[in-house]
Amino acid sequence: MAIDGKISLPVVGPGDERERTYEHPLYKQLLSVPGLSLGVTSLDALLTWGLRNSLWVFPMATSCCGIELMAAAASRVDLDRMGTIVRATPRQADVMVVAGTITVKMAPRVKKLWDQMPEPKWAIAMGSCAISGDFYRDLYPVVPGIDTFLPVDVYIPGCPPNPEALMHGLLRLQEKVRLQRLGQFATPEPRPALLASTKPSIPRLNDPEREAETNEQQTADAMKTADSAVERPEATGSSAASEALSPAPALEGTTPPASWLESLFAAHGALAFPKDAPPLISADRHVALARALQERGYKQLVYIAASHWLAGRGRAGADASETEHFEVAFALRTVGRASQLASWSVRLEPGQSLPTLTEVFAGADWQEREQWDLLGVKFSGHPDLRRIMMPDDWEGHPLRKDYAADTHRAPWR
Amino acid sequence: MTSMQTPTHTLKWPNPHLDMAAFEAEGELMLLHLGPQHPSTHGVFRIDLYLDGEVIVKAVPFAGYLHRGVEKLMERLTYVQQTPIVDKHDYVAPMTSEQALNVAFEKLLGVEVPRRARWLRSLFAELQRIASHLLALGTLSIDLGGALGGGSTLFIHCFRERELIMDLFEEVTGARFHYNTHTIGGNRHDVTPEWAAHVRSAMKTILARLPEYDSMSIDNSIFIERTRGVGVLDGRLALELGVTGPNLRACGVDHDLRRDAPFHAYDEVPVNVIVEQGGDSLARVLVRVREVRESIRLVEVLLEGLPEGPICSYRPIKLVGQVKIASGQAYAAIETPRGELGTFVIAGGGEGNASPYRLKFRPPSLHSLSALPYLLPGATLSDAVTILGSLDPIMGEVDR
Repeated sequence: MAIDGKISLPVVGPGDERERTYEHPLYKQLLSVPGLSLGVTSLDALLTWGLRNSLWVFPMATSCCGIELMAAAASRVDLDRMGTIVRATPRQADVMVVAGTITVKMAPRVKKLWDQMPEPKWAIAMGSCAISGDFYRDLYPVVPGIDTFLPVDVYIPGCPPNPEALMHGLLRLQEKVRLQRLGQFATPEPRPALLASTKPSIPRLNDPEREAETNEQQTADAMKTADSAVERPEATGSSAASEALSPAPALEGTTPPASWLESLFAAHGALAFPKDAPPLISADRHVALARALQERGYKQLVYIAASHWLAGRGRAGADASETEHFEVAFALRTVGRASQLASWSVRLEPGQSLPTLTEVFAGADWQEREQWDLLGVKFSGHPDLRRIMMPDDWEGHPLRKDYAADTHRAPWR
Repeated sequence: MTSMQTPTHTLKWPNPHLDMAAFEAEGELMLLHLGPQHPSTHGVFRIDLYLDGEVIVKAVPFAGYLHRGVEKLMERLTYVQQTPIVDKHDYVAPMTSEQALNVAFEKLLGVEVPRRARWLRSLFAELQRIASHLLALGTLSIDLGGALGGGSTLFIHCFRERELIMDLFEEVTGARFHYNTHTIGGNRHDVTPEWAAHVRSAMKTILARLPEYDSMSIDNSIFIERTRGVGVLDGRLALELGVTGPNLRACGVDHDLRRDAPFHAYDEVPVNVIVEQGGDSLARVLVRVREVRESIRLVEVLLEGLPEGPICSYRPIKLVGQVKIASGQAYAAIETPRGELGTFVIAGGGEGNASPYRLKFRPPSLHSLSALPYLLPGATLSDAVTILGSLDPIMGEVDR
């Protein structure tokens, strides 16, 4: 298995689990000695008891489920009382808990860490991302379930599962370990007394008297009164019309707040100042504009956001005269009280590159790398224009409109 | 790979793109991969460290190990379907992630949020800030490790109090996190007077236990030795990088969107902005510790003045394709525990304009992490985890 994104992982099929059951090489030989079996089996039962009550967890925690894994290991639920200790190195662990989304870039690392764990070992898929990819399942960078490349023993559903659910899963795994040593593979529910032990050691703030129903009723009532009190017309979509109906919220505007700002934009190639979009600046003067704004107090870089427009689409919706193009939006902010936002856009033809902002704003480095990676917008003069999100050998730019969201990457799909 | 052929870097800041070939000729450098699986990278994040002995010469961060293609997903989902997705971005503060998204949609639609809903949003945001800062402090203490009583003592304490806030949110929304409680025009779940009593008792507990934290962190001489003067960030560089939130306020920059561009109820409830001058890891921790106390005060003020009335002004959502916006672009931002989380929306995508044409998040953690190539050179290897932990990044929103 290569680490550089080349995929050569074996796909696990049914039946592998039986082969994976660990057995010491001397076990059968010892059993064949007459009279010794009594001692060996007792010793084996003792070792199995010890094994199943000291399942050390390796947290392959990538995202949200990892926080619940931390919460399970922390004070309230306290995994330690089942002999489960979280170890940060695979070489000291028995169980890999995959908690979170596994991406195409991360999967080879997960597999490598799994291979570093000593036998006997087990894997738990915690949360719906690890089980199936959840709603990211069809997206280009996500592995649809870790059982495409790992043999999973226990699945814990939830988004994310409660710490108690994780504890339940670990109890099921203990049961499985016990039965595996007996040569059985079915996993009945663990004993009720065990299940009761998943109850948190510190009680919840409001455990018995939970009144969700009344809460929901109140919400429904409030929604009803809100609906009758505020008669709003169908949201037609014309934002100019909605602006006329209600005053704009007291947030910073995308329209230029001051006239000197408009004149500054005009001096850098802006022809129009639409109400609902940043003005368009000519590509060769936008670095000068950023510098001018920085000198006038717009010192904080806010965002750089490129977008891809196919032929026939323009700012005002469908527009047959439009050709394929890119728009890159920039925003700067003043610091301190009454902070103002200044934003502008640059229109680029396909293949055209934009002068980099890195000399004016050091933060443009990563922002421009991201836009290059995801949309393929080139920034000339950038000191380090590499991919930032996708693996280096990825083909295509995912956020382009002609890039299918579920572009396949074998063998995970 | 088109890197490092055009040295256009100016002399304003130290060059983060050093050419290592000249150093390697001396044969003294060691390349160390920190991550992507490492307990102190707060998720999946990798830094390639070029080490001369124990001192870092160059640091090359690699993000993207949790890139889930959410911005592409948003172009396929309707406006109504998107709130539960953004919960998974900043999974330590999902409330504020939801708010940042819905504020942008409301701005695009011109929908005004009722007063009670705005106060509730502020209340949830402040509770979430306490929970998030507690987690940041706890995980940093694990990063600092053995000298702090095994490191995990403070972590265990922080999680004990964080669970109280999880309980409060669970009582309102039914979920420990991933709440899906905000919607266009307001909130979906209202709170009860009993809940307010629970909040008050939880705040009382947390406030009473905060001196314990102080004695283990900012009053602990070992903690101070490990953090003071480590990873000093220049305020002007922080602004250029777009670093926001506690990391920016630790550099002596007096900037907080709650006061400077008020959203929710913050135009009615004044916020004391916490500023520290040091710019180092200790200052970043100090800002968070002091902000917890400020947030507890704000929670009490917000509970006291919580107005009556409806909690949603928009028509109840019955169909996923109900909200339609033909054209327009909007950017709206709020102050999350990690800084300015904004959403840039271009309307007019999907079937019948029910989806955004392009949606871009402005994640504060990505900007914080972009300071690493400037902070790490010159620091030792053991300081690297301190610096990374004190920036409090969340990979879910870095990689999206």
